[in-house]
Amino acid sequence: MDFYYGLAQIIGIHTLLGLSAYIVLLTGQVTMAQAAFFAIGAYAAGMLTVLAGWHLVPALGVSAILGSITAAAVGFPALRVKGLMLVVATLAFGEGVRLFFFNFDYQVAKGEVKVGPLGGEGFRQIRFFPENGWTTGEVMLFIWIFAIAALALLWWFDRSRYGAVLRAVGEDELAAQSVGINLTAVKVSAFSVGGAIAGIGGGLYAHYTTHIEHANFNVLVATFAIAYPIVGGLSSVFGTVLAVIFVQGFLIEGLRFLGDWRNLLFGALIVLAMNVRPSGFFGKRRA
Amino acid sequence: MLDFIQATSDGVLFGATYALIGIGFTLVFGVMHKLNLAYGAASIGAAYAGLLILGAFWAEAPAWIVFLGAFLAGGLIGWLVYVTCFHFIPSASALATLMATVGMLLLIDEIVVHATDGLPLNYPALFSDVMLHLGDYYLRGDLLLVFTLSVLCMVGLLALLYRTRLGLATRAVAQQPIAAQLCGIRVARVNAMTFVITGLLGGLAGAMIGASVGALSPLLTTPLTIKGLIVTVIGGLGSIPGAIVAGLLVGGFESVFQQFRGVTERDLYVMLLLFVFLFFRPGGIFAAKGGRD
Repeated sequence: MDFYYGLAQIIGIHTLLGLSAYIVLLTGQVTMAQAAFFAIGAYAAGMLTVLAGWHLVPALGVSAILGSITAAAVGFPALRVKGLMLVVATLAFGEGVRLFFFNFDYQVAKGEVKVGPLGGEGFRQIRFFPENGWTTGEVMLFIWIFAIAALALLWWFDRSRYGAVLRAVGEDELAAQSVGINLTAVKVSAFSVGGAIAGIGGGLYAHYTTHIEHANFNVLVATFAIAYPIVGGLSSVFGTVLAVIFVQGFLIEGLRFLGDWRNLLFGALIVLAMNVRPSGFFGKRRA
Repeated sequence: MLDFIQATSDGVLFGATYALIGIGFTLVFGVMHKLNLAYGAASIGAAYAGLLILGAFWAEAPAWIVFLGAFLAGGLIGWLVYVTCFHFIPSASALATLMATVGMLLLIDEIVVHATDGLPLNYPALFSDVMLHLGDYYLRGDLLLVFTLSVLCMVGLLALLYRTRLGLATRAVAQQPIAAQLCGIRVARVNAMTFVITGLLGGLAGAMIGASVGALSPLLTTPLTIKGLIVTVIGGLGSIPGAIVAGLLVGGFESVFQQFRGVTERDLYVMLLLFVFLFFRPGGIFAAKGGRD
């Protein structure tokens, strides 16, 4: 049973990651920086619970705020450039953050051992869950509370005026601007909401694995973040969840019996899925 | 000062490979207004394919044959990427194409890992024992060859684009695809040819990287993709001279910082360079006036 709980935990965390990219993609911007906000959230929450002895919930709050502030800070200059330039700018930012954590040392002696992030070795011993005696099932529930909250928030956004504004910007910036929508404000707000969600996801991820290092936040993670909403389709948040389950549950866990061949099939299936359904699982068919 | 000049010259010579990759990204973007994220992986994959296929029946092939193998394999892989990621996906679904090229990137990487068990392979080099001494400085013979071959390739590409009918058609499609189609240009064919041409360039770039590093490894893919994209943006999307200048610039820049700040911090400064450009010159070095995104 613990295996399925573990799988559900990973799916919950990746749902948060995917949703953080979903809201940005709604505005028509392709972001490769989600792994960076994920990393910032992970390191912040880890340092607060391990070094400062905080409870996880306020630590996640700080993760969300930090992720959101960083996203807004990146958003302002980066959103001056559009489309594919933004892909590259956010990609470079993501790599920059990864390299920052690669060179980041902040160790504090705690009893016998020194704890804290140590450059390329990473940040070990983020043991909030085991120290407080949480079972796998409880951890899973805890993760899914956040995942469902994020889902509900975005689902509600989609039905509100704000969601309509986001989609208007995504469909046609010129038309949106001409009806009086402030493009920069909309994009930066979507970026910050995405940054907050990614920050929470990162904080949960750090405590789920107990050991994080810079390689956990590479370009591949950023790619996964945008892959979920694109594969799932942008017309509904549930597409993203379905895509996470498809990728994490089926492609990664379900095909484990194929051994080495699984990795080969993984890329090929993404190519195939995009050829067969260019607008994602839940996407509208375009003429 | 001595170190500085030496590091710059080494870096600029190696930067020629970044310029080639940057040209590949920029050319596809210029013609199709789409990003081919599989390009870095395809380039390294082409170098592997050339080496492995040749190695299967000619174990001691001379280095230039291996380079030629990578060049040709690059063209073939470029065409395959076009067919799988671009041809059948409607051009309005920009995100789907982007995602498909990511899938292709993962697929090529995994095929390489699968074929070699993830171990690095030795790659032959030409003139690696030659050293040109200029006073206190020296130029590595293999890097000089990398530079010369890359420059020849760029000249060939420019001649192709500006002196042939295919080049004329390519530029026409880049400018106005619908008008080009009305003039009787087969747009799909021109697009496919663009991928073959960039694939050839990428294959050569992969071979040159293998030759100057001395080995091929799947770990080369991600840094190469990122550097190539940075070069593309610094040079200005769609600008070939821009990609060349930016490639040499990034090569020299990263080599200087590697010399003085170490290999782990080197790329951090390259990212900073990119942000400086995005902030002060978002259109790149050779930005077209009032250019598009």
